[in-house]
Amino acid sequence: MLLTLFLLGLVYAVLVAVLIASGVGGITIAVIAGALFLVQYFTSDKIALYSMGAHEVTPQQAPKLHTAIDRLCIQANLPKPRVAIAQTPMPNAFAIGRSPRTATVCATTGLLDLLDPGELEAVLAHELTHVQNRDVLVMTIASFFASIAAFIVQMGFWFGGAFGGDNDEDGPGVIVVILVSAVVYVISFVLLQALSRYREFAADRGSAIITGRPSALITALMKISGNIQQIPQRDLRAASNELAAFYIFPPKAKQAFATLFATHPPLQARIAALQRLEAQLQGTA
Amino acid sequence: MGFLDVLTGRRKLAGPAPDRLFAISTAYVTFETTLQITTRGSAAIVFQPLATADFEGIVREMEEVVKATAGESGTKVDSSDDSYGFRWLILRGPEFDDLVVGINAVSSALEAGGYGERVLCSVFAFEDARKRPLYWIYNYKRGAFYPFVPATGEQQRENERELVLKAQVGSELPIEPELERWFPLWGIPI
Repeated sequence: MLLTLFLLGLVYAVLVAVLIASGVGGITIAVIAGALFLVQYFTSDKIALYSMGAHEVTPQQAPKLHTAIDRLCIQANLPKPRVAIAQTPMPNAFAIGRSPRTATVCATTGLLDLLDPGELEAVLAHELTHVQNRDVLVMTIASFFASIAAFIVQMGFWFGGAFGGDNDEDGPGVIVVILVSAVVYVISFVLLQALSRYREFAADRGSAIITGRPSALITALMKISGNIQQIPQRDLRAASNELAAFYIFPPKAKQAFATLFATHPPLQARIAALQRLEAQLQGTA
Repeated sequence: MGFLDVLTGRRKLAGPAPDRLFAISTAYVTFETTLQITTRGSAAIVFQPLATADFEGIVREMEEVVKATAGESGTKVDSSDDSYGFRWLILRGPEFDDLVVGINAVSSALEAGGYGERVLCSVFAFEDARKRPLYWIYNYKRGAFYPFVPATGEQQRENERELVLKAQVGSELPIEPELERWFPLWGIPI
């Protein structure tokens, strides 16, 4: 975690240094950066809600969801966030908002249909932990420089021809700035994903602490992912007739590369971490 | 599976893994004392009967041996065939240790007769403090136990309670580490 933050900071420092060295005016940098930051800071939650097709619901419209969140907020000692529902069969939930006061927790109708009450509470507690940890704020700030870098790369592609080669005398040149920005963007992207994965683990842990039911979150995750890692429903006798010697399940491939670019940790790792938590809770670890 | 078997495409059925069945006898002390999980006085071994004279002979002999020893400890023996073509040899008795010994006697007899790979699993029936049923299933091929908690409703199971049970038992039992092999048994007759 610390290493990730350190590397992120290092990358940003290098970017700023190169920008200054290339002769782009300090004011220009500040204006671009400031504008981007403000846009990101104030509109990200509205954009997220809009893009998911979510709308806020009142306690009368969604009494169960509101009651569950009320209870969890009392337990976690959090101000109650706004509650939204997105009309989509895909089971998912997310939390947005820069501070616990302005946060919105959103669940999809698919999630509400799929999970039983205990599992739903575990998932909501996971999202509330994101709110409590101010993960949106952390990720917004952390991704701020990555956004600048991406912005410059795009500007470079659009206006690359216009800049030409006539400002060679006062710095590394536009091409170098674009290249460095591209590298910055790629590196910070990977580091951001690592940071995000870490915060997912933290939110899983927080959910387990709030609800005291890590196993409910495990079954919820298995249901949401809907994949083969589920505890089977198929009878042992039916299964054994087909797979007496070996099993149809493919060996677990190590997808190190895919993991590098994932915002969420692999399900297996999250389940394993939650099982350790449950064992601690039961006093057997 | 050997290299030659791979080449020729011949594979053998996996035999039973090293026997860890008796781990449940020791774990039962924890079940009773700290978890308030008690036996419902029944256990079963599930195997695939072969229609050969040799196999039928072994099964008959085995049932008689178990019945003979069972008489002393008050254990009753019963058998039934299910729709999957498996035979359930069901032992009922008040002493949990006797059930485990009986189950082990059956699997040993089958193994000694060369039919070890026909044995699928054994099932131990328990109930928790609130009288809800739960099972521990021992998979012979894997040499490991896993919990199975049926829920109300057709072919439903309570995964959360199963995971909690796993955590509660901890290192007392060899537990199947891969959740995708926690296969249920629907319609358990015990």
